[in-house]
Amino acid sequence: MIEVEHLNKTYGSTSAITDVTFRVEKGEILGFLGPNGAGKTTTMRILAGYLPATSGTAKIAGFDINENSLEVRQRIGYLPENPPLYAEMTIEAYLYFVARIKAVPAGDRAQKVQAAMERCNLLDRRHVIIRKLSKGYRQRVGIAQAIVHEPSVIILDEPTVGLDPRQIIEVRNLIKSLAGDRTIIISTHILPEVSMVCSRVTIINGGKVVATNSPENLMNELAGGSGYELEIDGDISLAKQVLLNLADVNLVESIAKSPNDSVFDDRRVNLRVICNPNTEPGNHIAATLMRTGFDLYEMRRVSATLEDVFLDLTTEEEKPELDENLALSDETVTNEEGEAA
Amino acid sequence: MGIVLSNIIAIYRRELQSYFVSPLAYAIVGIFWFLAGLFFVIILQDIIQYIAILETRNAQLGVPVPPIDVPYTFLQAFLERLEWLLLFILPILSMGLYSEERKRGTLELLATSPITNWAVAVGKLLGVLTFFITMILPLLILEAIVLSAANPPMSAAIPLLGHLALILLAGAILSVGMFISSLTDSTILSAVMSFAVIFLLLFVELIAKSIGGFFGEILGNLSLLKHYNTLIQGVFDTSSVIVFLSYIILGIFLTAQSINAFRFQRR
Repeated sequence: MIEVEHLNKTYGSTSAITDVTFRVEKGEILGFLGPNGAGKTTTMRILAGYLPATSGTAKIAGFDINENSLEVRQRIGYLPENPPLYAEMTIEAYLYFVARIKAVPAGDRAQKVQAAMERCNLLDRRHVIIRKLSKGYRQRVGIAQAIVHEPSVIILDEPTVGLDPRQIIEVRNLIKSLAGDRTIIISTHILPEVSMVCSRVTIINGGKVVATNSPENLMNELAGGSGYELEIDGDISLAKQVLLNLADVNLVESIAKSPNDSVFDDRRVNLRVICNPNTEPGNHIAATLMRTGFDLYEMRRVSATLEDVFLDLTTEEEKPELDENLALSDETVTNEEGEAA
Repeated sequence: MGIVLSNIIAIYRRELQSYFVSPLAYAIVGIFWFLAGLFFVIILQDIIQYIAILETRNAQLGVPVPPIDVPYTFLQAFLERLEWLLLFILPILSMGLYSEERKRGTLELLATSPITNWAVAVGKLLGVLTFFITMILPLLILEAIVLSAANPPMSAAIPLLGHLALILLAGAILSVGMFISSLTDSTILSAVMSFAVIFLLLFVELIAKSIGGFFGEILGNLSLLKHYNTLIQGVFDTSSVIVFLSYIILGIFLTAQSINAFRFQRR
């Protein structure tokens, strides 16, 4: 339904997005996840036809965004970061206006406006002027605006930002109810939202796509590769060496001590051991350390959450070997040159 | 074609409606009516006094009263004053046409809808022009009352042409103002810039005269004031009408282009 190929966008000499490529199949809800300034809005604006791409292209419902801009625009519903509302209009008048400029035939307008208001729970306020609406209602009018012409692709830029928890749940349920034969892209920097709403996640950072997978797979592959945190006494490089020789150990890295750790002896170091998915070599790790003469003061199991995945994938100071070992899937593009962007 | 027309109508209706719920627009209309009414009364009194003086001189000194076409003189003087009002009022009407959309983010809605830039510009210009025409309707009533007292009755052609000129002048000014509005998201800046540019376009004739020669003549013909004055004198000069229409079309064209070019600078 949506095929994005090698999109680039530069502003002068700074590059906003680099070689962004992904696909969204019909009926999918794709979560576009990334920190602020990662290029989410830029990508969405290009898809919506608001910004021209510097190079690369995208096809929406078979139409090229550069060559068939009007066709594309007729088939998408787009909610920008700030809902584009005319404050002096009533909800109903506003939706009629949008239906008109989205080329909804005159005969269908009343029915479609009604359906959009029903869907977004706006019927009781239909004659209220938008200026007087709360933030949550405005966001819903914004979504109604994006769906009133029943587009096959819906692009929502941070639809839950600035809402209170109850409104967030309402909006998420609304988005989920829109799926089906429609294709939806939502951007967010809220992690739980992705696992709650989306069927697939594209993580973007520094203008590059870092990973694309289902939320479950992203969680599993990393959570499966869980590990241990150790506090030991001794030669750290030797410890790393012996641990890496163990069968299921993938990676050993030293981590910062928390201030209340190791108050007894500052020679102690903290290590994180990452293991292969679905293995539990804890007993071997402990035994090996004992055998080679290290003192083990603490050992506990740690597992990655989606939050960790996100941080791992998007933190600038990440270590290159971490990415190599945590390769998520075939589609993963590791951000090996963290500084490049 | 039907869709384009329907788009233009949609934009037109929204634009027009936004003026009728805007306190600023009502304030402008109020000031406009007050000042226009003031001019109307002052000009009328001036003419009555002038005639009175002429008649006293006739009675006392036997100086013959020169033939004066009072309705014509009155109408022309009134329309000349109005152009000053337009210079101040119209930039305020046009300042928000696009800057407001840019500021509120609604341009993002228009730009991502299946609607062309020029259809938006045409719809908006028609909307604000319609609002202006509703603004001058009460003045027409005032004029009709005074001019209907003329004996022999005035021919309808002169007031018709005069008000057509007024609307054309307003259209040209609004079109240029719309273009300037499309360049910035600050409504104040848009109003100030429009005022400066329109001031220049109105009075470029004065500059042209001081330059003189061929170039001066070309420049002089760009003057809105010159063509307006031709038309309100009751002279139907096609070239004047064409100049006004050119300004209108140029404004629409530049607006559509600037919105298109703006796509490449957006962040």
